[in-house]
Amino acid sequence: MSTSPSAVAPATASERAPRPARQPRAGRTRRLVTQLGAVALAFLVWWVASFTLPIGVMPSPVATFVRLGALASVPEFWAAFGTTVATFAAALAFCTVVGIPLGLAIGSSSFATQSTRLVFDFLRTIPPIAILPLVLLTIGANFQMVLTLTILGAIWPILIQSIYAARQGEALLVEMATSYQVPRGWFIRHIFFPGALPFVMTGLRIGTTICLLLTITGELLGGAPGLGFEIADAQAFYDNERMYAYVIVSAALGLLVNAGFYALQRRLLRWHPSVRREDAR
Amino acid sequence: MTITGSKGKARDEGAVPSSVALEASGLGHAYKGREVLGSIDFAVRRGEFVCIVGPSGVGQTTLLRCLAGLQRSTRGQVLVKGTAITEPVRGVAVVFQDYSRSLMPWASVRDNVTLPLRANGTPKVEANRIAAESLAQVGLDEHVSDLYPWQLSGGMQQRVAIARALAYGPEVMLMDEPFASVDAQTRADLEDLVRRLQRDLELTVILVTHDIDEAVYLSDRVIALAGKPAHVSDIVDVPLGADRDQIGTKGTPEFAEIRAAVHGLIRRKDDAVS
Amino acid sequence: MNKRLLRDLGLEIWLPIVLVVVWWFASASSTSFYFPPLSKIMESFAADWLDPTQAFDNLLPSLALLGMGYGLALVSGVVIGTLFGLVTPLEEAARPVLEFLRAIPGVALLPVFIVLFGIDQPMKVLLIAFGSFWPVFLNTVDGVRGIEPLLLDVAGVFRLGRARRLFSIILPGASPQIFAGARTALAISLIIMVVAETVGGSGGVGYFLLDAQRNFRVQSMWGAIIALGILGYLLNIAFRIIERLVLRWHRLQQARLESNS
Ligand SMILES: Nc1ncnc2c1ncn2[C@@H]1O[C@H](COP(=O)(O)OP(=O)(O)OP(=O)(O)O)[C@@H](O)[C@H]1O
Ligand SMILES: [Mg+2]
Repeated sequence: MSTSPSAVAPATASERAPRPARQPRAGRTRRLVTQLGAVALAFLVWWVASFTLPIGVMPSPVATFVRLGALASVPEFWAAFGTTVATFAAALAFCTVVGIPLGLAIGSSSFATQSTRLVFDFLRTIPPIAILPLVLLTIGANFQMVLTLTILGAIWPILIQSIYAARQGEALLVEMATSYQVPRGWFIRHIFFPGALPFVMTGLRIGTTICLLLTITGELLGGAPGLGFEIADAQAFYDNERMYAYVIVSAALGLLVNAGFYALQRRLLRWHPSVRREDAR
Repeated sequence: MTITGSKGKARDEGAVPSSVALEASGLGHAYKGREVLGSIDFAVRRGEFVCIVGPSGVGQTTLLRCLAGLQRSTRGQVLVKGTAITEPVRGVAVVFQDYSRSLMPWASVRDNVTLPLRANGTPKVEANRIAAESLAQVGLDEHVSDLYPWQLSGGMQQRVAIARALAYGPEVMLMDEPFASVDAQTRADLEDLVRRLQRDLELTVILVTHDIDEAVYLSDRVIALAGKPAHVSDIVDVPLGADRDQIGTKGTPEFAEIRAAVHGLIRRKDDAVS
Repeated sequence: MNKRLLRDLGLEIWLPIVLVVVWWFASASSTSFYFPPLSKIMESFAADWLDPTQAFDNLLPSLALLGMGYGLALVSGVVIGTLFGLVTPLEEAARPVLEFLRAIPGVALLPVFIVLFGIDQPMKVLLIAFGSFWPVFLNTVDGVRGIEPLLLDVAGVFRLGRARRLFSIILPGASPQIFAGARTALAISLIIMVVAETVGGSGGVGYFLLDAQRNFRVQSMWGAIIALGILGYLLNIAFRIIERLVLRWHRLQQARLESNS
């Protein structure tokens, strides 16, 4: 542990791939039924709340979904959705393309790791939202502003986990070099990268979540176009149905992103004993 | 009832109901329909030392967990002092095979040993006193009580687990391959320790092991399990007397003879199945 | 030993010093409205955050809010997480609903929470708690479900009561995971705190930022960013100190496992 930068958080449960259901068919069916029951119960609670709470506070689920259906045929909806997805994707792509190689490079040198540790640690702990007013003033309420904000917030976990990943690989290298004679290229391809990947994935997972959160936040608070703006806009017009509809769309986007990430992780790390062990548990 | 009392007796002769500490009656267990234990019957007298041997994976741990009341058997009963049990009961302690997992890594040795005492409401001072006593009984120094269990050697950790069981004040002690993961010398020491404790405290001990030498050396009777589902293939008396020692006892012709008998028993049954 | 410590310290501190010095001189003659000289930034930083009365006005509401929201997330996350971790069918049934709720980007709920709970302190506390609940909850569920089964057997054999089983076995066993979740939750609650404070006028760092933005006080904004960085850093250190104390056994045990392998 002495080699790890202190900023690094270990992979937490929420960052791991879900365990696959390895149950007999009867158990699976029963689970599905209870899950459907829970979803129905949630809707019931929502529905009851919609007419018990003061009028105008919470629309009924039916009204919300009808509204959502109506929105889906409006071009503005798809424009907002597209902008959010594009901003999110661009920010994540940038953080990945810059953060991972940079992190791996820094992590491969203990000098660079130690030198940059405090800097990254500090930058990481600034709540990214604090720079919103600044980027808003300098850039304006637009796509570029949200992108800047999101990148400045999401790159740190990816960078820092990649540094940590490389440190792990480096420790292996020292060990290997003393015991076997292994060509460096072979080592990097077969030991270093596979060894580093799980840690990189952890960083990517955190980064992905933060990317989406900041994209929506930037739009919502900064007034830049996108789903976040639509939520704030609906609220400004006391249009609760529209507001709830957009919150549901954001959540659906979040679900989609989570699911996509799990799929990627399972694909990339299928061979990895840590994932296999997690799965087996 | 003393150990010498059981010496030379025929298998079921001594099983007068009042002297039976623990009994398995028609005990069977299946995991999700897959039968692991067939119909198992045996009775263990008070103060007796019984070893259960069998090939790896035969279901010894399952049997022991049923005896302890940790697992509801799917068939038959476990009787402790004549009463059928459905959950762990007072007076029955268990020492598990894997000491590194059965001791709480976040608690000091002392807190590990006092766990059963605090559970039954013993005041802290009294609990600590009993813990110190139990640790002394298993030959551990006072100063280890403040250490974490994982700071000790494997043998010492297993001693802590035994001390914890003793602190519970048990009449029956169930042990699941307690010495499987320690080195040979430590193993011999622990075997002698358990034998001595069993006699001094007049404990009833049921110990599971793969090691036939160990089983014969320790016990008054050896119960051999075999087959799929497992059943009691035979019960062998071990009339080796109360005073045993690692070199002397294991060198006697009687020992070799019983050993060979048990060995043949398990191998034969095993081969017959596979 | 001491020499090594000194060398490590030097290695870690040189770059931050160089960066600050470069920033200082590179910005010294800056006339840009948005990137004022560092000396000016430090001036307003000192005025807003080092002067005790000012600092208290700006910081105390934030810390109180954070404490309540984060505290609520911790307590509810651990309690509900333990329940769901112990009662597996409950967790399995609720999983789709929970996945959905957790996928909502926390800040998107701000308008909803305003409509539901108003714009005052309770709404802010609840928003922070909702956002930072999930890492605590999910990690607790996982930690509780991952308890060494043999220890549950031990608890059974020695007939531990419910409460003792919970406090002597289950919670200590899950504590490393719970702490991992609590650390993520801390970062999230800090973000949501700033967001929540931009609503209404109860003071705090978020309000200060908003006010600076409205009045184009760029220096103050820079100062607040630095202040928030320092606050976050200090909170992280405090968290780590507590974690090191509580999980001392875990840290030492891991170190031992690593040195043995
Ligand atoms: N919880 C369980 N669910 C399903 N099957 C189980 C479970 N526990 C044990 N088994 C199966 O039951 C059989 C007996 O297991 P058990 O652990 O009792 O054997 P054992 O004799 O103690 O083995 P070993 O000598 O390796 O300790 C094994 O085939 C095992 O796979
Ligand atoms: Mg076993």
